[in-house]
Amino acid sequence: MNSMAIEMLVPRYGIAWYPWAVQYFFLIALSYATLWLAVPGLIFGKKAWMPTARIAMLACVSTTLVGPVALLADLHQPLRFWHFYGYPAPWSWMSLGSFILPLYLGAVVVLAWMSWRPALKARSQHDDGWFSKVAGWLSWGHWEVPRPLMVLVGLGALALSLGIMVYTGAEVAIVRARPLWHTYWLPFAFVATGFIGACGLVMLLNRISQVRNAITNRQMFSVMIGACIAMGFIALTWFLDGVNAVDGSVAMALDSIKDSEQWRNTALWGGIAGIALFVIAIILRLRERLWGWGWLVGLLALHVAWMFRWVVLMDVQTVARNSAGYHNYDMAFGSYGLMGILGTFGLWIAAILLIDLFVPWRGNEARAITDKSSSSSDISTGAPSHG
Amino acid sequence: MDPIRRSLLGQLAKLTAGAALVPLSSVASAGINDQPPRRGGDPEKRYGMLIDLRRCIGCQACTVSCHIENAAPLGNFRTVVSQFEVEHEETGELATFMLPRLCNHCENPPCVPVCPVQATFQRQDGIVVVDSDRCVGCAYCVNACPYDARFINPRTQTADKCTFCAHRLEANLLPACVESCVGGARIIGDMRDPQSEISQLIEQHRGELMVLKPEKNTLPQVFYLGMDERFTTRPDGIKPAIWDVANQNGKEIGYEFDGH
Repeated sequence: MNSMAIEMLVPRYGIAWYPWAVQYFFLIALSYATLWLAVPGLIFGKKAWMPTARIAMLACVSTTLVGPVALLADLHQPLRFWHFYGYPAPWSWMSLGSFILPLYLGAVVVLAWMSWRPALKARSQHDDGWFSKVAGWLSWGHWEVPRPLMVLVGLGALALSLGIMVYTGAEVAIVRARPLWHTYWLPFAFVATGFIGACGLVMLLNRISQVRNAITNRQMFSVMIGACIAMGFIALTWFLDGVNAVDGSVAMALDSIKDSEQWRNTALWGGIAGIALFVIAIILRLRERLWGWGWLVGLLALHVAWMFRWVVLMDVQTVARNSAGYHNYDMAFGSYGLMGILGTFGLWIAAILLIDLFVPWRGNEARAITDKSSSSSDISTGAPSHG
Repeated sequence: MDPIRRSLLGQLAKLTAGAALVPLSSVASAGINDQPPRRGGDPEKRYGMLIDLRRCIGCQACTVSCHIENAAPLGNFRTVVSQFEVEHEETGELATFMLPRLCNHCENPPCVPVCPVQATFQRQDGIVVVDSDRCVGCAYCVNACPYDARFINPRTQTADKCTFCAHRLEANLLPACVESCVGGARIIGDMRDPQSEISQLIEQHRGELMVLKPEKNTLPQVFYLGMDERFTTRPDGIKPAIWDVANQNGKEIGYEFDGH
C-alpha cells in the first residue's frame, strides 16, 4: 500500500460485555477445576487426597453459587433471564450453557451436601446451640447416603463440568468477528488457567482456614506445574500458528495488536507471571520446608487466572474491528465496573464465610485426628475460627 | 480434515461479491452455530442494498435522517459514513474516501445463531431484526457482528441495529437513509425481482461490486460500487485523527483533530 489513510470521522464503539463477564468466567473456571481436584478423594476414595477434596469442595460450592450471579448481572435485562427457558435456541452455545449451568449447579450442591452430611449429623448431636440446630436441619434426617449414590452424583457433576468447560470456551471461540477469540486453543487455555487458579485457591484456603495440610500443598504444586506446562504449550502453539500463518484467524489476531505498546506490555506481563509461577511452583515442590508458602504462590496463581480472563474478555473488546486504533475503555466506578468486581468478590467471601459458619466442612476425620492428639481447638473440631 | 486446516482453506478462499450473491439454500437443519430457520417477512422477496460510492459526498444526511427516523440514542448509530483522508506516499496527493456503513443483512449472519433466546432473527426477505421485547441484552450479537453494526441501546437495554427501515418498506416507503441521500448513492430493492433497479445494477456491475470483510464468510448483502479493495477490511496502517477533549473533571467537551 503506497498510500496512507487517516480516519477523519468515526463513532465511538463501547464494549458490550462488562467486567461481570470476567467474574463469571473466573468463578466458573475455579468451580469446575476445584471439582476435579475434589474427585480423587471424594469419588475415588483416595485417602491421601481427602483433605484436599474437603477444601476443594468448599471452593467449588462457593464459586458455583456466586458465578451465576455475576453472569446474570452481565445481562442488560437480568429479569428476563427466564426467556432462556421460554425461548430456547439449541443452535446457540449460550443457550446450551443456560441449560447446562443450573444442572451443574444442582449436581455440585447435592454432591457437597452428601459429602458434608456425616459431619453435619455429628454436629447436630453436640450441644452447640444454634449451630447444632442448623446442622440438624441441613443434614435432613438420620438416613445414610449410600456410597454408590454419591459416586453417581459425583460422576454426573463431573460430566456436567465437562459441558461447562466446552460451552464457556466454545461460546467465545466461535466469534469469528474477533480474531483474538476465534481459535481452537481458547477453550483449552480457559481450562488450563482455570486449573492454575484452582490450585492457587485451594492452597490459599488451606492456609486461611488453618487446615494447613502440607500434603495438600504438595499435591497442588504438582497439578499446578502440569497446568502451567499445558498452558505454555497452548500459548506457544497459538503463537506459532499465527506467525507461521497456519491459522489465518490467529495471524489476523497477532496482526491486530502487533504495533500496540499496551498489548506488548500485556504479553510481557502474562509471560513473566506465568513463567515465574511455573518456576516457583517447581522450586517449592522440591523443598518440603517451603510448602507452607503455598498460599503466596496461590495468590499469584489466582492473579494469573483472573488476568488471563480480563485480557481475553475486556482488552480484546477494545481492539477496533473497523476503525483506527483502539477503543477507549475506562472502567466505570459503579456497578458496571469496579463496584461490580468488588461486589462479586464480596459476595464470594460472604458465601465462604457462611458455609464456614454453619457447615463443618473440614469433616469428621479432622476431629478424630485432633481428638487423639489431644490438642483440641476450635479449628480442629470444625467450628469456625474467630481468632 | 483437521479444523485448523479447514479454517485456513476458508481464509484462503476469499469470497467475492459474486459468490455472495448466490443465496444459501434455506437452511433447514440447524446444528450448533448454524443458521436457524427464517421467519416472518415476504418469502418472495430478498432485500439488498447497493451503495454507489462514486455518488457519495460524505454529507452524513443518511446518518442524521436515520438517527431521527429510528430515534437512536445520542452517540449510537445504525448507519454512519466513515471518512478517510488518503495521502499518496510518493506524490503527497490527497483524496477523501467515504464509506457508508450499516447492517449488511448478511446471507449468513453471524449475529443470528448466537442469540440464546431467538430474539434476533432473519426474516424470509433477508432482513435481520431484533425483537426488543424478547432480547435479554446479553450483547453476544454485538460481539459477533464483524461490522460493528449492532449496539446495546442504553434506553431499551436491548440490542439495536439497522432494519433497512422495515417499517417504512412495509408502507411502500424508502428507508430514511435512501430517501435522504443527496447523491442518490444508496439503492435498495428486491433482488429476487429481475426488473428492480438493484437487480439491474447488480447485473450491470457484477464484476466490480465488493462487500465488506468477505473473509468472514458472512455473505453481506450490501454491495459497494466504486470501492477500493483496501477498504473492504480494516485498512493497514490506518491512523486515527480525532481525539476526545475532556475538561478538568474528565468530562468530554469536544473533539480535536490530530495535528491541526
